[in-house]
Order: sequence, then C-alpha cells, then structure tokens
Amino acid sequence: MSDARPAFRRVPADMFAFTTTERADLHTAVMQVFGEAAERLRAALTFDEVLAGLPETGWYEPVSDESLEYTLGALHKHGLVDRAQNHAAHYASAAEYERRNLHYSLSRKGEAAYQGLLLALDLLDGSGALQTSVLDAIAARLGELDALLGDEGADDRRIHTALTELEGHLTALRSGVVRFNGRLQRLLRDEGADPAVFQELKQATIAYLTDFVTDLDTRRLTVADAVARIEERGVEVLHVRALRGADLPVLPGRPDPAPHFLERRAARWAALREWFRPAGGGRARVEELADTARAAIVALMRALERFSDSRRRGSSTAADFRTLARWFSAAETDEAAHELWAAATGLWSARHTHLAPDDPTAVGPGTSWFRAPGVHVSPLLRTHGQSDRVSRTARVRDTTEIREQRRQRALRERLELEEAWSRLATPGPVRLSAFARLDQGSFSRLLELLARALTVPARDGERRASTADGRLVVVLLPPPDHHLAYLRTARGVLVAPDFIVSISESRPGQAAPVPLRTDFRREATA
Amino acid sequence: MTDLRSELDRQRGTERAQAIRALLARPLLTRAADPEDFFLVARHAAELVPWFDEHTGWRLSVEARQGYARLAKVSARPDGTRPARRLRGNRDPFDRRRYALFCVLAAELLTGQVTTIGILAGRLTQATVVEPAIPTFDSASREDRRAYVDALLLLERFGVLTATDGSTDAYLEHTDAKVLYRVDATRLARLLAAPQSPSRLPGPDLSALVREDRADDDPDRLRHSLVRRLLDDPVVYFDELPEAERAYATGVPGRRAIRAAIEEAGLQLEERAEGLLAIDPDAVATDERFPAENSVPGQTALLLLDSILAAHPEPVPRAALAEQIAARFAELPAWARTYRSDGGPQRLLTEALGVLERFKLIFNDEVIRARPAAARYAAPTTSAKTPRPRRAR
Repeated sequence: MSDARPAFRRVPADMFAFTTTERADLHTAVMQVFGEAAERLRAALTFDEVLAGLPETGWYEPVSDESLEYTLGALHKHGLVDRAQNHAAHYASAAEYERRNLHYSLSRKGEAAYQGLLLALDLLDGSGALQTSVLDAIAARLGELDALLGDEGADDRRIHTALTELEGHLTALRSGVVRFNGRLQRLLRDEGADPAVFQELKQATIAYLTDFVTDLDTRRLTVADAVARIEERGVEVLHVRALRGADLPVLPGRPDPAPHFLERRAARWAALREWFRPAGGGRARVEELADTARAAIVALMRALERFSDSRRRGSSTAADFRTLARWFSAAETDEAAHELWAAATGLWSARHTHLAPDDPTAVGPGTSWFRAPGVHVSPLLRTHGQSDRVSRTARVRDTTEIREQRRQRALRERLELEEAWSRLATPGPVRLSAFARLDQGSFSRLLELLARALTVPARDGERRASTADGRLVVVLLPPPDHHLAYLRTARGVLVAPDFIVSISESRPGQAAPVPLRTDFRREATA
Repeated sequence: MTDLRSELDRQRGTERAQAIRALLARPLLTRAADPEDFFLVARHAAELVPWFDEHTGWRLSVEARQGYARLAKVSARPDGTRPARRLRGNRDPFDRRRYALFCVLAAELLTGQVTTIGILAGRLTQATVVEPAIPTFDSASREDRRAYVDALLLLERFGVLTATDGSTDAYLEHTDAKVLYRVDATRLARLLAAPQSPSRLPGPDLSALVREDRADDDPDRLRHSLVRRLLDDPVVYFDELPEAERAYATGVPGRRAIRAAIEEAGLQLEERAEGLLAIDPDAVATDERFPAENSVPGQTALLLLDSILAAHPEPVPRAALAEQIAARFAELPAWARTYRSDGGPQRLLTEALGVLERFKLIFNDEVIRARPAAARYAAPTTSAKTPRPRRAR
C-alpha cells in the first residue's frame, strides 16, 4: 500500500461505469467474455472471438457488428480494455482489415473491475457465515508460523504459504462477518410473509449463533496467545522471511515489489491484532462480534416468544389487546370498529342537549312531545348560526364562569358568617359596651341578635334567644347600673343601656367556643 | 341569615353533580389533562363510587395518587357514533388501522417502563409481522407513521405514555426522532372496560364482549339499564326499549328512581309520552351540541329540522332537503363557503342529517322522518305547538 490515499479516493471514477449505462447488459457480457478467456489464459481476443464468446456467457440475442463495436469502444474509453494491432490474422479486404485488425484484452483496471463484479455477485447471492472452523484455522496457522520461526533452518517458502493462508482465513472471517451481520439484521427486522418459515429460520439462526458463541472466548484467547508468541519472535522477521519465500519477480521498469509487499503484510497483521489482541488493550473485534451475536440471540428469542405468545390464547391484558388488534383489523367498516372500541374500552362521551323548556312542569309526563311546549331556540341560530348574547343559549356558554362565581359567592358568604360570629361570640357575659367598634356586617348581626333577645319575654330577668339556624345563643341581662353603651360604627353611634351580653355557640358536643380574635378578648376584659 | 349547613350541603351536591357529568363526558379523567374536574372527582370519590355502582352498576376507580379516575362504562348496545378521535388536525375519527395499531402498541407497552419512539416502532413492526391478521407496520410509510403518531398521542392523552424528552409529532417527519417515554402499565390495563376478556372469546363478537354476569331477574338490572341510557343518550324512546324496561320506566316507582339519579347528576329529566330525555343545562356531559353555535352543519340541521317537522307525520325525501340547501346557497352567496365546492352541498346535507341522527331526532332511511323529540326544537312560528285551550279564558 504505497498509496496512502483512502480507499474512496483511489477507486477510478469510471471503473464500474460499464454496469450503469443503457447498454450495461452487453457491456457486462463482454467483460465476462474477457474474464472467462483470461481464466483459460487467453490474453487477447479478436472481434470475432468476442462475438463468438458471447453465447457462452448466456447472451443469445443477436448482436450487430456496430453494437459490439460500440461496446468495445466504450470499454476501451473507460480504460478497461486494451487494444493492440493484430498482425497475425488474414484479411480478405481492406475494409475488413480496417475494422478487424485489432486484438482486445483486459487492462489492469479491467481485471480489477471484473473481479470486483464477481465479488459483488458473490456477496449478493451468498448468505455469509460465522465459522468456528475459520478461527481454528487461524490458530493452527499461527501455531505453524510460530514453529517455523523457531526453526532457523525452516524453508521460507513454507512461511510464505502459511502466512498467505493465515491472511486468507482472516479475510474469510472478515467478509463472513460482514455478510452474516447483514443477513442477521435483515432477519431481525424481517418482513417474513410465512410465519412458519419465519419461525423456523429464527430457531435455526439461534441454534447457529449459540454454537458460534460457545467456546468463542477460548478460541479468542488461543489466537491472542499465538499472536503474542509470534510478536515475541518479531513480526518483521516473519515478514522478511515470507518476502524471501515469496520469490517475487523483479521486472525492469517496474518498482521494487518488496516495500509494497512488506507494507501489505504489516497492514494485514495490524488487522489481525485488531481482531484478537488490539494494541492499547482496547476491545477486540471478536469480542464485539460475540456481543452482537448474544444480543441477536436475545432479540430472536424474544421475537419467537412473541410468536408463540400470540398463538397461545392467554388471558393476560397483553393477549386481550392483541386479540382486539386482530378484531379491529378484521372489522368490516370503520363504524363497526367504532362500536368495538366503545364495547372494549367504554371510553365514549355522554351526549345530551342543553336546552330546557321554560317551565318543565307545564305539562304532565303523559303529554306527547308534539303537543308539549318546545324549548327556546334563539332565532339567530337559524338565521346567523349564532345566538344573541342575551338569550338563554348564550347564558349556557358561560356556565363555568357562573358556576365559579356562585361557588365564590357561597364561599365568601360562609367566610363572612364565620368572621362575624367569631367577632360576636363572647368568652362569657360581657358588657354591651365591650363591643367597642364593629364593622357594618357584624354590627347588623349584633343588632339582629339583640332584637331577637329583646322580643322574647324575660325569665328571671334573663332574655334568651337563638339565631334562625339555632347555632348561636344570645343571653341578655339588664344592666345592674344605669350606664349607657356607645357603639360606634361607620354609620353612626348606637346608644343603648349597657346590657350584660353573652353570645355562644349552641351546638351540642361542641364545647369549645368559636375562636376569639385576640384584640377582642383584650377589649372585652378591659 | 344564610343557613350555613344547608348552603354547604347544596354546594357539595352541586360539586358532586358536576363530577358525575365530568366522568360521563370523559370516562378516563386525568390530573394532567383536566385538573379541575379530576380534583372535583377525587374530592368526592367516597360518594361517587357507590353512586355509580348503585344507579348504573358501572365501576368507578379513583386513583388520586396516580392522578386518574376511570369510569368503566359498559353498554349492551355499543354506539358507533362516538369513536376515538385523532388529536391532530380535524379530530377525525380513528380508522381500523389506527385502532389496531393502538391495541398492538398497548400490548407491547405492557412489558417495559421506559421506551423510545424508535424502539417502540421496531417492536410494532415485529409484533405485526407475527400477526398474519394485521397488516405489517412499516415505519418507512408516511401513512403508517401518521397512524402510529395518532395512536401514541391518544395514549399520551390517557396518561399511559408520558413523553419525558422530545415530542411525538417529530416522528411524522423523521423516523430517527428521539422521544423518550415513561409507561404507566396499570393505567394501560385500565383502558379495557369490557366485562368479558376478549382473548377468552372464540371470535369477534360484540354481544359476547359486553355480556355482564348477572341474572336477567336481577332487580337492579332494569334500573341500571335505563339510567345508563339516560345518562349517556340524548333521548330514550319507550318504543325502542325491551318490554320489561318499558314497564319499569313508565311505572311510578321506576320513574321515581330514575328521576332521583338524573337529578343527582345535575341533569333535568324531561318526561313525555314517547320517552324520556335528560337535559344538561351546562352542556358538560356531551361530546357535541345541538343546537350548536358557529357550526354550519349545526345551523343547517336546525333549518332542515324545520322542514322535516313541517311535513310531519309525512316523511321528507332526501332530495327535497338537498333542494332546500341549494336554495339557501343561491339566496345567501356568503353563506357556508367551505361547502360550495364539488360535492359540498351533498356533504353538508349528510353532516347535518348526521347531527340530527346522533341526537335521535330523525329516522334517516330512504326518506327522512321526524322522531318525537324533534318537536322540542320547532320554530315558534310553526304549528307544532298546540295553542292554549280556549276554555282557559
């Protein structure tokens, strides 16, 4: 790898262009003719030989000379086919000579393109595999190399073949993993039409993966150990001896192949390390592979579980939902599906009208709707589609607000009441003058209480009355002296005899008086 | 002076009635979506649970801590006009595909507490692959993605799923959208309310699904059946009731029991010779309104009803109503613009008749006939109202 540019920059732009044009079929067929000829060590073909070779590749349609001419020209233009003058042939005419005096053969780029094509087809067809035997073979070759390196007298050629085999196994492992992983991911998100086949495939894959994962750790360690042993002996030594064993031809005009050879070996060795014994103690790729395999086993088992689950008529909620899903899918109309939804979930809303007749009791329950008074429908609803704001339909629109107001009012009234009572309740008998200052609300309540007490006849000089709801009891005693009480309010001053007043809660079981405001307590005892 | 205790009682009664109607409108009430109604229900749970049990036989569970209340409504006649609705766009009803995906999703969600939108989509695909009866979910298909998102949004609305990171809508555009969900499996299990477990039934059979395990001579059965109808349906006509229920509904003790239940729910009971009708003056317990404001189909429904009532008891052919709409189009050029395009008038007619049908005001077969409750909405100028008897003078 003398060229340090990354792979994607090194692919010649038009290398596979022949597979993508309109005439890709014929182009590819011709490439195949060349490829197969090369396998038979026939380096160059004439126009007629190319034409004759086509049927062997499975091309049976007639090909006009022009068409083949064009194809060969195109391949030549892409740099895939070399052209040379053919001086050995016999020509009947000058025209024939003009057209057919050429020899065609694959260029280097053409060979690469053809091999690439074969590999691509192979990958498309093949399924890929994870093989423990590959791992064993790698371990075995490493062991062999270790032994050969230990033996000074060993043949370098054997080292070369063993290294080549090792690299071959590593390549097999890598491409196998790539392909298998692709197949596995497809299986995991499979759109298997036939559930039975689908299930079988998954089960087989699980068994296969389980086999692979078992003892993977031991194999990994064996390989890693062997790598370590060779590194102790020196990888460079190994590569140099392999280079000697390779016996590479040195051709005039071509660069020395040795540096390139050593670079490639070093790169392969680095790849090997990355798989089994990464530098810096990172995660070995083979471990990642094991993780992926384990995760795939779990995912596949789950899928199978779900499959058997869906077969079993369970009574669990999940089974209920799955059953419903099937029923929904089988429903004949959307309306039938709506009914099923309602039946299964009960998640429907009630439906009512909001308009009531003015006087619901105007007619008896035996009256027909046709004879009973109707509801008031705003005439604007008919004419404009909207009701006027003062009509009753408009009121309905604001119900939440009204309800809220009503609630607030009730709450406010209750609070006022509590507040007033807490102001009025006394810790015991006090003078009326103790209610020195009162707000208007409390004052009017106090007046009401006094009025109630004063209207009942006195018993032993004591007047006793209670509020309408019976909650508060007021007891009034005439003043022992002739003092007057002056109660000041915002609206004026009440002047009255200074009665002795006792206001308390009368609820049975409630001994504690209404809590007093502290300032009032102070005033009352002052 | 205001009487405190009676005021408080009245207040509690109003609140309870409000809670009942909130549950009737939304049988799965969540703290997240309807906080006010939820707290109302939670506050009165102790009284509401026996109330529903006594009057309707429906099970109410209030999980105050978990933040939801679930009224398991059961009906012997499931209604096809109250579908689940998409929470996007026009609130179109769910179709079969969406319902099926919703259920498969629900089944898949039972296994974990946390998941993401992508993992869930993968599980959905796997689960639909092994179900030959259900078309396989394909996240590459835009239509499937839309259906998937609609199902997810509904699950979110019910509080089964909570998006703790990201937004479900994002999935419509990108399948690699990142949304993290928390799953509430108990709430999920509560979604099913049918008295029978579907997986124990041999096949799709609605009547078997809603069969309740109680004897026909159960004294509560008649009451429950009638109160359920009245709480749920716009009108209950006597002539569509089974004999025993009709006898119960027209009898004095039955009528008294029904009225008590309806009034406690804050509704007014309208009793007429042909049937009964509950009025919700606040329009809380309803999925739609009639008459409705700002709705062309609603307005059209009202107008068509006038013609249908004018013809009563004669039926009206559909074509006559179509003509009425066409006449209105001609008369008012600015009216109902969205229905003026191709097929619009027909669509408007269908929608308006749909409103009337859903409120059980008409029979809509070959021809259209008024049902008795339609007379409630008669325009004052028509002679549907009987004039006051002369002898009253």
